[in-house]
Amino acid sequence: MSMDYDVLVVGSGIGGMESALKLGDMGYKVLLVEKEASVGGRMILLSKVFPTLDCASCISTPKMAATIHHPNITALTYSEVEGIRRNGDGRFRATVRQKARYVDEAACTGCQQCETACTVAVPDQFNADLVARRAAYIPFPQAVPKKAVIERVGTSPCTDNCPAGIKAHGYVSLIRSGKYEDAFQLVLDATPLVGTLGRACYAPCESECTRGSLEASVPIRRLKRFVADRHYATMDGPGIAPPPPNGRKVAIVGSGPAGLTAAWQLARAGYQVKIYEAAAQPGGFLRQAIPAYRLPPEVVDQDIRNVTALGVEIATQAPVRDLEALKHDGYDAILVATGTPQSTGLDIPGEQLHGVVSGLGFLRDAKQGRAADLAGKRVIVVGGGNVAMDAARTARRLGAQETLVAYRRGREEMPAHAAEVDDAEREGVHFHFQVAPLEVVGDAGGHVTGLRCQRMTLGQPDSSGRRRPEPVPGSEFVLLCDVVVVAIGMAPDTAAFAAQLKVSPNQRLQVDPHTLQSELPYVFAAGDVVTGATDITRAVGQGRRAAFMIDRWLQGRELDGFVALDDRLPVVGKAQVLARQREYAHREPVTVGATFSAAPRDFAEIEPPMTEEEALAGAGVCLDCGVCSECGQCVAACPANAIDLNMRERKLEVEVGAVVVSTGYKLFAADLKPQYGYGKYRNVITGMQMDRLLAPTRPFNTVLRPSDAKIPERIAYVMCTGSRDETVGNPLCSKFCCMYSIKQNQLIMGALPLADVTVHYMDIRAAGKRYDEFYEQAKSMGATYLKGRVAKITEKENGNLVLRYEDIEHGGTLVEAEYDLVVLAIGVQPNREAERLFVDEPLGLDEYDYVAEPDEDLNPGQTSIPGVFVAGAASGAKDIVDSILHAGAAAAQVAAHLEQSKTKMKVPQ
Amino acid sequence: MSERRIGVYICHCGGNISDYVDVDQVLAAVRDEPDVAVARTAMFACSDATQQEMVQDIEDHHLDGLVVASCSPKLHMFTFRGVAKRAGLNPYEYTQVNIREQDSWAHTDDPVGATHKAISLVRAGIARTRLTTPLEPVVVETTPKAMVIGAGIAGLRAAIGLADIGLGVFLVERDEQLGGWVGRFGEMYPHQRNGQELIATLVEEVRKRPSITVFTNAELMAKSGSFGNYLAAVRVNTNPPNLIQVEVGSIIVATGFDTYQPEVGEYGYGIEGVLTLPEFKALVDGTRGSLTYHGKPVHTIAYVYCVGSRQPGGNEYCSRFCCAATVHASLEVAALDKTVHQYHLYRDIRTYGKYELLYTESRKKGSVYMKFPDDTPPAVARDGAGRLTVTTRDTLTGGEELTIPADLVVLVTGMVPRQNDELMNVLKLPVGRDGFFNEIHPKLRPVETVVDGVLIAGACQGPKNSAESVASGLAAVTQSAAILKKGVAELDPLVAAVDADACTWCGKCLEACPYAAVEQITVDGREVAAISATTCKGCGGCVPVCPEDAIDLRGYTDAQIRAMIDSLVEEPVA
Repeated sequence: MSMDYDVLVVGSGIGGMESALKLGDMGYKVLLVEKEASVGGRMILLSKVFPTLDCASCISTPKMAATIHHPNITALTYSEVEGIRRNGDGRFRATVRQKARYVDEAACTGCQQCETACTVAVPDQFNADLVARRAAYIPFPQAVPKKAVIERVGTSPCTDNCPAGIKAHGYVSLIRSGKYEDAFQLVLDATPLVGTLGRACYAPCESECTRGSLEASVPIRRLKRFVADRHYATMDGPGIAPPPPNGRKVAIVGSGPAGLTAAWQLARAGYQVKIYEAAAQPGGFLRQAIPAYRLPPEVVDQDIRNVTALGVEIATQAPVRDLEALKHDGYDAILVATGTPQSTGLDIPGEQLHGVVSGLGFLRDAKQGRAADLAGKRVIVVGGGNVAMDAARTARRLGAQETLVAYRRGREEMPAHAAEVDDAEREGVHFHFQVAPLEVVGDAGGHVTGLRCQRMTLGQPDSSGRRRPEPVPGSEFVLLCDVVVVAIGMAPDTAAFAAQLKVSPNQRLQVDPHTLQSELPYVFAAGDVVTGATDITRAVGQGRRAAFMIDRWLQGRELDGFVALDDRLPVVGKAQVLARQREYAHREPVTVGATFSAAPRDFAEIEPPMTEEEALAGAGVCLDCGVCSECGQCVAACPANAIDLNMRERKLEVEVGAVVVSTGYKLFAADLKPQYGYGKYRNVITGMQMDRLLAPTRPFNTVLRPSDAKIPERIAYVMCTGSRDETVGNPLCSKFCCMYSIKQNQLIMGALPLADVTVHYMDIRAAGKRYDEFYEQAKSMGATYLKGRVAKITEKENGNLVLRYEDIEHGGTLVEAEYDLVVLAIGVQPNREAERLFVDEPLGLDEYDYVAEPDEDLNPGQTSIPGVFVAGAASGAKDIVDSILHAGAAAAQVAAHLEQSKTKMKVPQ
Repeated sequence: MSERRIGVYICHCGGNISDYVDVDQVLAAVRDEPDVAVARTAMFACSDATQQEMVQDIEDHHLDGLVVASCSPKLHMFTFRGVAKRAGLNPYEYTQVNIREQDSWAHTDDPVGATHKAISLVRAGIARTRLTTPLEPVVVETTPKAMVIGAGIAGLRAAIGLADIGLGVFLVERDEQLGGWVGRFGEMYPHQRNGQELIATLVEEVRKRPSITVFTNAELMAKSGSFGNYLAAVRVNTNPPNLIQVEVGSIIVATGFDTYQPEVGEYGYGIEGVLTLPEFKALVDGTRGSLTYHGKPVHTIAYVYCVGSRQPGGNEYCSRFCCAATVHASLEVAALDKTVHQYHLYRDIRTYGKYELLYTESRKKGSVYMKFPDDTPPAVARDGAGRLTVTTRDTLTGGEELTIPADLVVLVTGMVPRQNDELMNVLKLPVGRDGFFNEIHPKLRPVETVVDGVLIAGACQGPKNSAESVASGLAAVTQSAAILKKGVAELDPLVAAVDADACTWCGKCLEACPYAAVEQITVDGREVAAISATTCKGCGGCVPVCPEDAIDLRGYTDAQIRAMIDSLVEEPVA
């Protein structure tokens, strides 16, 4: 594509198309840029047009097709112009941002199967928000080009905040659509641990959920458990067949979440994978550490069977000490994912006493049924992390008489998730904050009797951002206890690899943080053994990354300079999402339903499963922040393989000789006239909505009123809504509302012969060729025109509307008249996008922010910037006929400007 | 008859057709017609997606004929010819069947009948298409010059616009002076620019451009040739008159308007102190200091709107510009003397768009607006005491009858079509019910007329204010340039042709031809008729008068017409 054009036309409404076509006919090269996915602007959305009652489609479609096929016009849809700058030579440079359609235009056939498959519905701007469209959409049936677009505003905050790379929004929207198994499969795409994460994940997605700023977050984690429960109820394993083997072998050391996820991903790519696990059972911390009341071991087994179903072999009690030896066993690559199995000690006197146990050891014993009975015992858990919470709650279940958590900072500073702390408290765990242990005190028999502590005060924040605890001198005291559980930290056990790999002083394996590759190219490492103790989601994320990198490395591809792994669009801001609607109805959150006992006695799972009703209600409140949920249904549905969610926007730099601004107008936001109740009374609609109800591509097959789909019998028009009205800051007349209302009056009387149409007007402005005759025709067909502005509209219980007005022509009495449906004849507002196009010099606007024409009398279409012209309603309210003539005039101005520039260039200065 | 491969598309037109015509039944009835290779229905045949589908079908099925049953060919004939062309099919192998204007819209009360009629019409279209032959358009080089008739503000601006795009211009003005109406005006709305100064500016710009040749006191007398290459005869009314022949590719008609002239007695016209709007405008423009009329100070003015406009049985149209022009003139009066009382008796104040600001300002400056009922116009009289009065009913204050004594009564008169019979005879331009020149289509082809290359601009097309006239003048420039900048024009080959072997030269066709396309030539020593393909309009008038049946109309041959009639008389449903 040539980057030089004679003219840049911004906006492809009727004005833009007309300018572009005529300039193209004259032989100029035109670049036409349209922000929507189809050319055509607003006219194509109308029913018929006045005064000829031609079908708007019939007039628009040939212009649209001619525009796109014109040999001299390059039309870029779904693109925006930014930063137009004037060159020294009088030409312009502009940046055109081609928004990503996520659909290969050449491959798309417009079959609309993606629309049918899409699980996200948003208000359809092409139907004036009367109905919904999908996130995957073709703007309207006559769209040119008729190619789908996937609307992606950005990554939804839930998905963006998932370290595992699970498409949280995606599975929520699938569940909302009743596609439970597809939701399960979408999670499987990232990790086999669907059931596990549905229970034990701390749900960073929910903490970012925009719905959380209203009443409560979407219950995203429990929805995942819901689909896992449903899947496992009928199916053992993932429900997908193993792929054909690719002949390569990978060994994975460790079967925690990182190792299992990596194994899953590699097996799906055809690798023969074997996991070596030191313990007697696979699962790592999922099995060893997380208490059964949060994560029943059977769930872990189910998740692991997803992996083994693909042919992954798991050798237990098989610790690996020599990686090179493993390589010699025929593995092409090795992944070390051994986690952090070692507990950090307190390093204080008395730690060797009977009754001092590590948090991990304590939890492991409990899970294996080897824990001591704690009946009547007083247990102190030292530490403030999740392991400490698990240990404290496990102690409660083992019968501890008293369970106290001692933590050296305050509650706010605890690394444990707030929900865990709350749950622990509900189960009778007590907390002692800002205390640090100094010594474990024991009796003569070497048994623990207490913990000597010191009070701490919080000083300046440390490197972690938390306030540093400092001892309070002279504040020592002893807490009496029988058992001390030390849960202050965990570390990897990497001594065996130290000879072959680089190990940091804190025992972590040192690998490239991006590729996860070690010094030994065939050895990769992932998970907590690299990062130190984190959580399941991060370990899963690392496992995915490792698998991806190992696959690339084994294929001999570069490990750098690509973005395909889990490439996310910038996150969508919550404020941006909430600003889409002026108000949100309250939606009662789905409650967790778990019951807590202050003295729990068993390890039964606390949280009950979600019912289908709860799941649908929970998923139903999702706000679709990013619009597209990345559920992947369109990708699967597209027969042409045209959808590519990794597509990204492109920027083009173009040089042009002239610019035509044909950015059109905005419609008045009718809710800015609160006395008319738009947005509050459902049967008060706008003129644009009525046009959609009457259009051949109408959303319903008739004219009906929104509240109850009743065919309206009495219809009122309120003219000049938002026009000729200082109270909304617009004293101008909008020019076309009288005429479109008269047109609609005629169409309504044709469609609904029994309907009464009454128009409340200020002046009927039927000024134009055959316009007044058209008005007279509407009167003769039976429409009633009443002079006088409507003061107020109120709604009755049955949805009918009462209009209060002064009946000027009949003595000036106050009248209240009842109607089934009220149409607000909304007018125009300037489209302020026009001024944002230019960076160097401002585009002159008139007093009311339309593009100014400083010499309108002789040079219509000229703006304040030489070489920049305006066509159509961007310069002020115009109907279609006037817009077309104005665009024709602008084209003549452009041509004269271009010819003059040519002459200037030919003559040496 | 050799076998054909015809594609047939039947359009729903949203519901415009399918609400009354059972489109699927039409499809079923015609899909098995002989020679039909593909038949489909379409929601919008004109939509780009369906166009693409047709292109695909033409390529995949090697179609050699195309029938689209949709709307009037006036709307979409070029659209579908374009489709054929893009697919490599000769565009003249295409037939448009009108099942909307001539069927669904005409028979909304009879869906069954409308469906049967559609079937017959589509069959006739197929029958015609069976007999089509590929035709090539007549390509002519165009003359890069245009003629502008009328040197009012629209014509002057158009002439400059044409010159600036590199086209030669002949500007023909009937008057001695350039400038038309605007050249007589002082301050105009909405930018308070002085009309005389605007015209002076334009005239100076015209003079600066050597490519513009100006003829004043001149009229177009004759026009021959065809689109792209008209030969125009201009008579310059010097003494003796001078007849000049010029070649032009297009003609922009910008002959403007006349103002409505009330009958004596109409709203008191004829009474001293009762003026039309242009008379009043001239008075105000010519006034320095306080407003006086015939030497008497003017203290009170009453304006009566819509005189000669919006009149059932008279001029039914609205003149569009007069409300804002009157409001503006009243502001000029207020600027001259703010103590003048001004009463505006109106039906609707149509200060559309930004002109609303004038209306608001005028009310702020003290003008009083009174709406009179449509059926009770104000009465203007001079009473026994010799006072000029206007009696009206004010709807806004309960319909009370009021009598306003006034020093001046201004009849707000609108525009009427200019009497221009000679020019209309020369150009053969159609006018609408309102008497103004008619465009082909207000949205698709707003400055074009049914005569190719003859364009209309300014108020000769319909009432417009000055700025709107300029815009339409420039739009006509654009349309001229779109035709002439290419350097060549393609003319429809659907013209009459003579079979020289059969012709015996009786001269009947020469008499029948309204376009002077027939000439007598000698072929092999025989005198025969020849028809100029560039001059012939394909009207077919010569075909039936030929006693030897020697003339056929390409694209509409006798054989084709007969085949269509045969199809139409068949029973639509077996």
